[in-house]
Amino acid sequence: MKLTIAHWTINQKLALVVGVLGFLAVVAGNPYHGAETTLNAKELSLVVEKEVDHVSPEELAGWIILGKSDYRLVDLRSEKEYAEYHIPSAENLTLTSLNDGTLQRNEKIILYSDGGIHSAQAWFLLKAKQYKGVYILRGGLEEWKDRILFPQLPENSSPAEIAAFERSKSVSKFFGGTPQIGGAAGTATPKLSLPKLEPPASPGQAKTATPKKKKEGC
Amino acid sequence: MTTTTKAIPLENAKEHSKARTIREAQPYWNPYVAGLGLGLVLLSAFVIMGRGLGASGAFSSLVAATVNTVAPTHAAANNFYAEYLGDGTKNPLKDWLVFEVLGAIVGGFISGILAGRVKKTIEKGPRISVGGRLGFALVGGMIMGFGAKMARGCTSGQALTGGALLGLGSWAAMLAIFAGAYATAYFVRRQWT
Amino acid sequence: MDMNAPFFKFGFFGDEVSLIVAFVIGIGFGFFLERAGFGSARKLCAQFYFTDLAVFKVMFTAIITAMVGIFWLSWIGFVDLSLVYVSPTFILPQTVGGLILGVGFVVGGYCPGTSCVAAATGKMDAFVYLGGIIAGIFAFGELFPFLSAFYDSTPMGQLTIPQYFNLSYGLVVFLVVLMAIGGFAGGSWLEKKMAVRATEK
Repeated sequence: MKLTIAHWTINQKLALVVGVLGFLAVVAGNPYHGAETTLNAKELSLVVEKEVDHVSPEELAGWIILGKSDYRLVDLRSEKEYAEYHIPSAENLTLTSLNDGTLQRNEKIILYSDGGIHSAQAWFLLKAKQYKGVYILRGGLEEWKDRILFPQLPENSSPAEIAAFERSKSVSKFFGGTPQIGGAAGTATPKLSLPKLEPPASPGQAKTATPKKKKEGC
Repeated sequence: MTTTTKAIPLENAKEHSKARTIREAQPYWNPYVAGLGLGLVLLSAFVIMGRGLGASGAFSSLVAATVNTVAPTHAAANNFYAEYLGDGTKNPLKDWLVFEVLGAIVGGFISGILAGRVKKTIEKGPRISVGGRLGFALVGGMIMGFGAKMARGCTSGQALTGGALLGLGSWAAMLAIFAGAYATAYFVRRQWT
Repeated sequence: MDMNAPFFKFGFFGDEVSLIVAFVIGIGFGFFLERAGFGSARKLCAQFYFTDLAVFKVMFTAIITAMVGIFWLSWIGFVDLSLVYVSPTFILPQTVGGLILGVGFVVGGYCPGTSCVAAATGKMDAFVYLGGIIAGIFAFGELFPFLSAFYDSTPMGQLTIPQYFNLSYGLVVFLVVLMAIGGFAGGSWLEKKMAVRATEK
């Protein structure tokens, strides 16, 4: 070993620096963070009040029909419920798996569950982890059923309402639902089955979860 | 190891000015300092993009794009090309690695110009002919291209990037690269020594 | 500290700007490769005849710089390490591919990155090599239907050495640093020996 560090060559000095840093790494601990988060309560409450984080079922239906692929639709329910029926283009993720990082922070993410509770809770989780483009499907699957799959035309509707209903009829048929005319709102919901959609251009729905696979390899 | 160039005699003023414009090739940097620079570039890629460097992927994009132009149905049916072509909405050449490789060409050129090392030459050892060297270069390139795809990357992507991130497959690939090269070196020693 | 990096993953800029970032980072990449002398096939291949171990020195210095750097930047909470892309491990095809790669390296004289730098500085053999790479990739693509089973075999996911061997990340960092420094010292000794042997001939 040399006498004073000042006499060392530049190579030896570099080796010393990296050696010390490497040694300290042993005792430093885990470099992975991610479980702890910081919340800006004020900012989040403002966003919630303004409801800028909602997506209506009609909007979502329009995107699916157009075959857009710039979003990720997340179904937060159980596997069984997902297999029975899910909104086309949705992927099944549990609340805990949201921590795993399958979703990226700069993606547009739309969450839904049966009603709104789980999707709202998941929304908070993701916002706390600094996700930027998180949205909730307003009304969840319930509202999807009511407005998209089984739109109802009450008796004594105005011409404007009838015209609007005609539009929702074709949307409903696209998703394999059945529009209902007249009758009380409490008619038993017909059995839902996963529609066989012919989307305009969405390759790899069976293969990859995201149509646009981000290439990050070499 | 330094490169040497012929000393240019300074007999008269005309010779002197000629010597000024033809720069003597500078010696290479201390490998540890160059490595430090390279490591910082890699680190900046991690911090800015969340990904590392690479090279072979850019050529894969190029091949896929070319095949797609010449025979689009064949390209779409092939899973390997399809991966680089995406869903058809984006030009495959608008790829991160393609731009990175273009930058590397520019960066290499800049460094070469500054060091007086840009010269039309053929790198070869003393015991082989130019034709022989070029033949080896072509065959070697083909083997490298094939192997790089099998390994999912080359030395920049797997050894350098994957090595720094301690990826298991990357370290395996890195060790295999060195093993394969050392094992073959004896058989092509006439090319280099 | 608030985690803001990797900047791209946090949405600081989009795909278009990332291409510019790629170009700039690429310039740095090519610059330091050429600085190290990696635009020369002879210097690169001297590694495999033990006369000039610059490849090992440069590569491992870069590896430990980036590895130690990303460790500490994550530890202080600046970078979210889980968002940095680790290439998934397919242990068998990657090992076999690596062997093939190594053969191609010493036969052809370059690797893809260094061949670009060499071509940029006028080496004609590098241009031929690049043509070879393209042909090789094309061959792989055309043969892919037969290769894909092997290519996708033995998947292990995004797996790091600390995870696989159940060691702490910091410990592995330290061991790699030790190994590199040991390798540098041993390498310099070896180079000197080879140089002496060359003069003795």
